[in-house]
Amino acid sequence: MEEKEKKKHRAKQSGPKAEKKRKRYLNDLGIGEEENARKRNPKAFTVQSAVRMARTFHRTQDLKTKKHHIPVVDRTPLEPPPVVVVVVGPPKVGKSTVIKCLIKNFTRQKLVEIRGPVTIVSGKKRRLTIIECGCDINTMIDLAKVADLVLMLIDASFGFEMETFEFLNICQVHGFPKIMGVLTHLDTFKNNKQLKKTKKKLKHRFWTEVYPGAKLFYLSGMVHGEYQKQEIHNLGRFISVMKFRPLTWQTSHPYILADRMEELTNPEDVRINPKCDRKISLYGYLRGAHLKNKSQIHMPGVGDFTVSDVSFLPDPCALPEQQKKRSLNEKEKLVYAPLSGVGGIVYDKDAVYIDLGGSHAHEKEEEEVRPNHELVQSLISTHSAIDVKMASSKVSLFMDSTPLGSEDVGQEFVMPKEERQVDLKTGRVRRKAVFEDDEKENDDVASDEEDDQEEGDEEEGDEEAVSEDGSDGDDENDAEEGSERVLLQEGMAVRRAKRLKTEMAQEEAVNELPAFADSDDDLEMSSEEEETAPEDSEMEEEEGDIQRTCEDESSGSESEAANKRADSKQYDMDSEHIETKPQISEHSPKRKAVFTTDSGNCTAEEASESEDENSSLEEGDDEGGSHEELEGGESNRNGFQQSQAKKADSVRQTKVKTVDTEDDDVENLLKEEEEYEEKIDLSADTTGALKWKEGLTQKAAEAFLRQQRSTPNLRKLVYGTAVEDEDQESEDAGDELGGLFRVSRPDKASRQKANALDCSKFVVEKLQDWDLEEVMSSIRDCFVTGKWEDDKDAAKLLEEDEELYGDFEDLETGVVHKGKAAAGGEKSGSEEEEDEDENMSKPEPEEEEKKKERMDKKRKLKEMFDAEYDEGDATYFDDLKEEMHKQAQLNRAEFEDQDDETRVQYEGFRPGMYVRIEIENVPCEFVLNFDPHYPIILGGLGNSEGNVGYVQLRLKKHRWYKKILKTRDPLILSLGWRRFQTIPLFYMEDHNGRHRLLKYTPQHMHCGAAFWGPITPQGTGFLAVQSVSGTTPDFRIAATGVVLDLDKSITIVKKLKLTGFPFKIFKNTCFIKGMFNSQLEVAKFEGAAIRSVSGIRGQIKKALRAPVGAFRATFEDKLLMSDIVFVRTWYPVSIPMFYNPVTSLLKPAGEKDSWSGMKTTGQLRYERGIKLKQNKDSLYKPIVREKRHFNKLHIPKALQKALPFKNKPKNLEKKGKTPKDQWRPAVIREPHEKKISALLSALSTVNNYKIKKAKTKHREQLKEYLKVKQKEDEKKFKRQKEAKKKVYRILGQREKKRQKSSLKGSSKGEKST
Amino acid sequence: MKHPLKIVLRGVTNDQVDPSVDVLKATALPLLKKFGIDGESLEIKINRRGMPPKGGGEILFTCPVRKVLQPVQFTDPGKIKRIRGTAYSVRVSPQMANRMVESARGILNKFLPDIYIYTDHMKGVSSGKSPGFGMCLTAETINGTILSAELASNPQGQGAAVLPEELGQNCAKLLLEEVYRGGCVDSTNQSLALLLMTLGQRDVSKVLLGPLSPYTIEFLRHLRSFFQIMFKIEAKTAEEEHAGGEKVLMTCVGIGFCNLSKTIR
Repeated sequence: MEEKEKKKHRAKQSGPKAEKKRKRYLNDLGIGEEENARKRNPKAFTVQSAVRMARTFHRTQDLKTKKHHIPVVDRTPLEPPPVVVVVVGPPKVGKSTVIKCLIKNFTRQKLVEIRGPVTIVSGKKRRLTIIECGCDINTMIDLAKVADLVLMLIDASFGFEMETFEFLNICQVHGFPKIMGVLTHLDTFKNNKQLKKTKKKLKHRFWTEVYPGAKLFYLSGMVHGEYQKQEIHNLGRFISVMKFRPLTWQTSHPYILADRMEELTNPEDVRINPKCDRKISLYGYLRGAHLKNKSQIHMPGVGDFTVSDVSFLPDPCALPEQQKKRSLNEKEKLVYAPLSGVGGIVYDKDAVYIDLGGSHAHEKEEEEVRPNHELVQSLISTHSAIDVKMASSKVSLFMDSTPLGSEDVGQEFVMPKEERQVDLKTGRVRRKAVFEDDEKENDDVASDEEDDQEEGDEEEGDEEAVSEDGSDGDDENDAEEGSERVLLQEGMAVRRAKRLKTEMAQEEAVNELPAFADSDDDLEMSSEEEETAPEDSEMEEEEGDIQRTCEDESSGSESEAANKRADSKQYDMDSEHIETKPQISEHSPKRKAVFTTDSGNCTAEEASESEDENSSLEEGDDEGGSHEELEGGESNRNGFQQSQAKKADSVRQTKVKTVDTEDDDVENLLKEEEEYEEKIDLSADTTGALKWKEGLTQKAAEAFLRQQRSTPNLRKLVYGTAVEDEDQESEDAGDELGGLFRVSRPDKASRQKANALDCSKFVVEKLQDWDLEEVMSSIRDCFVTGKWEDDKDAAKLLEEDEELYGDFEDLETGVVHKGKAAAGGEKSGSEEEEDEDENMSKPEPEEEEKKKERMDKKRKLKEMFDAEYDEGDATYFDDLKEEMHKQAQLNRAEFEDQDDETRVQYEGFRPGMYVRIEIENVPCEFVLNFDPHYPIILGGLGNSEGNVGYVQLRLKKHRWYKKILKTRDPLILSLGWRRFQTIPLFYMEDHNGRHRLLKYTPQHMHCGAAFWGPITPQGTGFLAVQSVSGTTPDFRIAATGVVLDLDKSITIVKKLKLTGFPFKIFKNTCFIKGMFNSQLEVAKFEGAAIRSVSGIRGQIKKALRAPVGAFRATFEDKLLMSDIVFVRTWYPVSIPMFYNPVTSLLKPAGEKDSWSGMKTTGQLRYERGIKLKQNKDSLYKPIVREKRHFNKLHIPKALQKALPFKNKPKNLEKKGKTPKDQWRPAVIREPHEKKISALLSALSTVNNYKIKKAKTKHREQLKEYLKVKQKEDEKKFKRQKEAKKKVYRILGQREKKRQKSSLKGSSKGEKST
Repeated sequence: MKHPLKIVLRGVTNDQVDPSVDVLKATALPLLKKFGIDGESLEIKINRRGMPPKGGGEILFTCPVRKVLQPVQFTDPGKIKRIRGTAYSVRVSPQMANRMVESARGILNKFLPDIYIYTDHMKGVSSGKSPGFGMCLTAETINGTILSAELASNPQGQGAAVLPEELGQNCAKLLLEEVYRGGCVDSTNQSLALLLMTLGQRDVSKVLLGPLSPYTIEFLRHLRSFFQIMFKIEAKTAEEEHAGGEKVLMTCVGIGFCNLSKTIR
């Protein structure tokens, strides 16, 4: 076998692998690429200059901290409200098309006409509310305040328009939401290059306005009147993934972009007075912050209101329930736009409307054509009721007979007459029953309970109408009843059926009750019935109790007139007590409060009582005196802590004998309360329990109740129940007199409380015996000397520490310290451990345990270390952020597990809820001129933001606004939620803190402005426009700025110069008149600095007697009689109290953009053609300057003599003609001489010429020479340079090589070692 | 309020009915500090003591201005580490104060060794117009909760004369009673704490109180009618056996009150 020569392996010279290898090799050598330049040349990277290093460090820190925002608590809700997308742009740019396309993109539905906001579900976690913004500046301002995202449509074929910039500026002032540009009309460009250019140009302009890199979308061309599908899809994607920054104003105020409006005014009131103030309800998603009932709101364009009622409704456009899958199915792609008539089911507070869509609407239109509809219309439009007409109409049967009035006709027509009414909201025709005789009896009450009851059997629709009419606030019971009935009969079939069942049961149980006598209150009824059912044996007693209490109530001092009225109705006994119950119970908390002043004993009684009721102690109720003793026994010092009452320590048993020594009357009342309390408890709590589950289940239910009651009881004790609250409100409303004045009757409780002691001290009624050991031990652990919890006990911690750190060796002394082997808790284990140490071989479960323990210890140590280490790194900013984060988490978690009803009570309505807001006293124009195209915004006002006061601003005229603003000209400001007209005064702050009035705003500078208007927090931005009506070609935003202060005592002053004239002049003293009018005035100005126009300064000394108001003054120099003297003073200016909200939404449709408020004087003058009478002195005249003649300077002779010669006036007179005798004689040459001189001159001329020629020649030569020389020099220089270069290069290379070799040598050296 | 507060109050400083100036100084001021109203200028200075019936006291109260109140989470009162107090006497023998201190210490020493009660005897013009004496005790926990109790002698010419020993004992017992009630805020200042929580930022505040006093309950109702705010009220039993009575955990979301008048510089 011969070794065949095999092909030798040849290492690759090229390719990626070879490259890699080479690199590795070089790296090993330490002469790799750039990345380890630091390694190669460490000297180059050392600190060169400490100063510079410090500077760079500072700069990086500056840049880092600049990015920080002040951390705020993140209060965004878990389920946020829909994102408000505002589509804005000049007219005819394609706004509606974009909206339609977007809606179609997200929901596959095509909306024909879009009015108002449209809410759609765009994704699993996001909903959008899209709204179009017209070019009316009012709309633009309002929508900029609520927008989360702005789609700014720009007609690319035209370029930017003023509206775009105006909207951008409005946005900037009010918090700058996200802005996305959309270029449309791109298909108009034929030339591609032109298109590109335009795009680029527009993009860069857009970037300068928004921020560099702002997203700009291009919608190229239309297909069948719509934008291209793909582009719209992309736009939609962008919108649904967009993130938003919280805006200060929006996150700190609740607001609603209303998407539905209903009128709730009593039709009767409207009939009587079509211009009466209306009551409306508005619907929409709550955004921003929590909203509380009865809070103040502002509707931009309408005015300020107080919310009369808020309720939350089921979400009409809810997010999909399960989040499992990736995309939405068709069912979940909801769209909701009630103003446009879209959105299937509409929920109201007490009703559900199902919109049947187009066919229904069509029917409505038809209806209007039909003749019978006319009849209905005419009936509606009558301004007096039919009975009034009847009464006034008279019939004469015969010619002469007296006309018969309606009163003459007999009373036999008692049948109810039918009056058709069309419900304006629903378009339903309702038949209204009118009883003639009833109406005669009481005109304002359309129907009373009788009617209600009778018609209760009739159709529900009828009843609804009647009850609505009947609830005219006269009798609050009626009102309640009516509303409740509406609630009941609003198509809630299930509920109705249930009620029927309960009624049946009721009849069985309590046979003295008629079937529908209590139909007004089924809830309480059912509860009561449930109460009676399990305790059948006690029912009689119960009834008796209630009766007695009712009697007590009426006979007691606290029975109200209303109560009596309720009694007098023909209700039977039971319904009566049901009626009175809420009233009584609503007083009960307050009365309770009265009694609780004695150390809360009574409250304890209630609590314990209500508990006793369940533990079958109830029999004691009627036993009078013994009953109280029982109470005393049960009552605990600490009031409502019923569990303690149960405990009843032996200690407290000593106090059993402490019986309240109150008079009988009070006790009686007390007992009532207890009973009511327990009733309420039952009514609230036992609704869930079922009456037929007796025996076994009953006990369980009771146990559950007992458990349940412990917490709500406290709440009930403090606040009562929610039902009572509402009742009270309705009662309050009844106290109104003629809608104008309110009778403020102090309720009974407060009347009694008025004389009570207002002291926050919680007096201890009965001291515990602190000498007893048991009592003392009850608080033993409140002191540091007491027992601690396991994790905090110092001794235990010390032990643990011992374990951790005890084991160490003192290095200096060499002593080895041994820690205790195990913790105190495992004493037994420690002994075993020793055993284990001896025989290590067998693994035991204890071993594992120990291991675990050790691991735990280690982990603990590590955690401690981590915490310490991180702490060092954390800055103040991080701490703050962490704190805010914690707070936010707490905020979210605190009420999470509660149901919405209770949550609302604790924290208000949270953002994200769909709410219905009732507002009263809205001007009728709002309803009559309602136009859904204009956004309705309800902006919540913070505390004291509803007030009006003096506000100071920093203001700057907008640089694009052409005019400057004049002080005292009315200006329309948009500040906070509001738009209003006010009269600002402009001022500058001088260096001494004086606010000096300006006549006009400065051109390119900030100035201060003060006005009378709504109080708004500092730091809020605002913008000003001069008029909101019509469109002006120029930029409309006049000024922008920020609120600085809310100082009501600001003084703005203007300069006032008082002038006077000297009438007598001494040396430096003058008498001056005409400046003041009395001696008193002068006295006020004594010592003031005065000045003459020519600049001579002086001082006012003292008043003169002779001309009134004249005074003596001294000056620094002598005045002339022609001088004018003036004193400079400051005169305070008062800010005009003018505040006029812009009520643009009240204007009729089509004129909403034509609101005009107070006009400026300039405008008025222009309109009326009034010329301003000008001061003649202020007119400009041509300046005529007279030629001035000055006298000759005269120097006295003596002075002349004394002057040095140099300065002596040299009055050299001009030489006159030299006299003939001084003339020089003329020289006459000989002919020979003449020749010589001629020759000489000729020669010199020739010579001169020669010299000149030679000179020019020489100069030229020199020039030539220099030129050549320069060239040579250049060449030489170049050569030298090149030579130098060469040399240096060689030198450099040599140096490099040397270095390389030295490095190589070192690395090699390392390797070798 | 735009500018810091500086008020001189004149009249009765210590009586049997209302919380006295000592109690307010010892309890209300630390409470205010927890809500962010702090600074050097927060102070109550007793220039003169005035006892009923004639009064004649003078107090200087200074308080800084803040824009917002901080939310508090104040649920762990902690254990009492020391007891302090003031025993004052005006226009009576200075020995009275010492006698009160002696007797009070006698009772409190069973629980805690760290007790110091200042004796404050005021003379001359700073002693007001009527004679009297009294005592205010405060118990401070490791978490900074301060519970207080106080007692004052009967006004001159009303009721029987009170022995200082008896008063001291009773006051100490009252303090023990207050400790039994417990909570993070003492019973006198419950309403103040709740008010400050209500007026705080729109965040959740929590405070653990002892049993609600009738005044507090009425105050809660007023808060609801005025601010539309309801407190979540949870009864808590003490986990330990010897830690006093039941407690109440009050939770609320502030209304976001803001002092708009304060100028931002």
